[in-house]
Amino acid sequence: MAVRRTAVHRPQQSAVASQVMEALGDYLNKDQRKLGATLSLREDLGLDSLAIIELLYRIEEAFDLSIPDEDLEKLQTVGDVIVYIEHTLGPKTSPAAAKLTKAKKRK
Amino acid sequence: MQRRIVITGLGVVSPIGIGVSQFEKAALEGRSGITALRPWAGFPLDAYRCQIGGQVRDFQVAQFLEAGLAERVDRYAQFAMVASTEALRDASLAMEHEEPHRVGVIVGAGMGGMMMGEREITKLYLSQRPERVHPNFIPTITLNSASGLLAIQHGAKGPNLTISTACSSGAHAIGQALATIRAGQADVVIAVGADASLTPLVFAGFCSLRALSTKFNKTPNLASRPFDQLRDGFVMGEGAGALILESLSHAKKRRARIYAEVAGYGATSESFHVVIPREDGADMATTMALALDDAGITPAQVDYINAHATSTMVGDAAEVRGIRRLLKGRANHVVVNATKSLIGHTLGAAGAIGAVASVLALQSGKIHPTINYEHPDSDCALPGISAKVQERRAKVALLNAFGFGSNNAALVFKKWQ
Repeated sequence: MAVRRTAVHRPQQSAVASQVMEALGDYLNKDQRKLGATLSLREDLGLDSLAIIELLYRIEEAFDLSIPDEDLEKLQTVGDVIVYIEHTLGPKTSPAAAKLTKAKKRK
Repeated sequence: MQRRIVITGLGVVSPIGIGVSQFEKAALEGRSGITALRPWAGFPLDAYRCQIGGQVRDFQVAQFLEAGLAERVDRYAQFAMVASTEALRDASLAMEHEEPHRVGVIVGAGMGGMMMGEREITKLYLSQRPERVHPNFIPTITLNSASGLLAIQHGAKGPNLTISTACSSGAHAIGQALATIRAGQADVVIAVGADASLTPLVFAGFCSLRALSTKFNKTPNLASRPFDQLRDGFVMGEGAGALILESLSHAKKRRARIYAEVAGYGATSESFHVVIPREDGADMATTMALALDDAGITPAQVDYINAHATSTMVGDAAEVRGIRRLLKGRANHVVVNATKSLIGHTLGAAGAIGAVASVLALQSGKIHPTINYEHPDSDCALPGISAKVQERRAKVALLNAFGFGSNNAALVFKKWQ
């Protein structure tokens, strides 16, 4: 629900971006409007390695995907995370649709 | 004058051998105990990010001990039983000649009887039939199950404790054994570190923490590479180490063969982070300094360090910074090795198995290699680290063990001569 509301308010943002921002806002207990794609997870948001793993765990759950360890280094900024997930899911796939395709694939 | 405490017996169960002689031979040959994990019955490994580990192969407790009690307990407790039995035999310590209340048992264990725990919890949640929970569930999962069991097995009625400080448990067990004998509460303590946590849930948990190596699933023997530039996390292992500690007077009275003196113990908390060590190694240095002070030894006298070195990026570098901080110029002259390069990180057993390796090194003058040390990392390079056996007539060995929960331990062993 919340995802859709955000999408309406910020039409320029992709569904993935909205959902990442929401997870991040929730995790940091911060207003997501104050969060931007250029922010670095470590320096700007002050996350240590365990905090980053916790955050990514939430995101993995939300999008039903698994990020391999070797990709963690690529995820330095909020934008990196968004692009990574969009890329993993395919550019125009919404999370819900992604879940469906994955479920189908499993069969 | 403070009582002096010595080591008179050793025992080990490890991924590179059951029994001290097998372990020592394999360690000096630089054999890796890390392999593709053998999956659990009915539980595929495919979805695990890490698929390798240091398993104790073909371990059937009945081969080592009379069946009965031993067969009803968790694997970690079986390891503890087998290792402590070997250590007592090695020490020629006949319990029938000892006053039982003067013999204590201190076990370090990070996780305890997890296999039984996981099985029973799953069964209960799925079936919702509490009456089907196994009657042995509680006696098995309580963290002191092994220390209690060893007391029964060996007839040791002195202080009986379990230390659980994650990856430093085994080292603290030895340190607390030292403290117990010094305080006059026992003449002998059977000190053990044991863990067997390669279970579906615990292994998954460490995978989720992103603490494990994942780049070497196809070449498992290369995965545990402490201090090497290509290291990418630790490899889980399992096993047990056991040492018989006794007061020097007690050892002399019974004319025991003495391996080494446990001369000092340092214990601190970094009070910093649940799983990440301080990168500057300052608290690690303090811990080592406390152990040396306790032993009355100066940093310049240290010959050999059995490092904690788990093969993680941050941990190994922090430890080397700590060593440099404390030893200054001497850091370029000490021999350093990482037992985990051979067997992986055996969690609660690590400090005790490392202690066995340290004592063997003092005895033989041969320091086992740190295998897979191929590409020195400027962040944690020391001239004394080598992928080959090093010969050094070391008189003083320092052992480090650092655990989740900001926990640090260090021990000092002196060659007996």
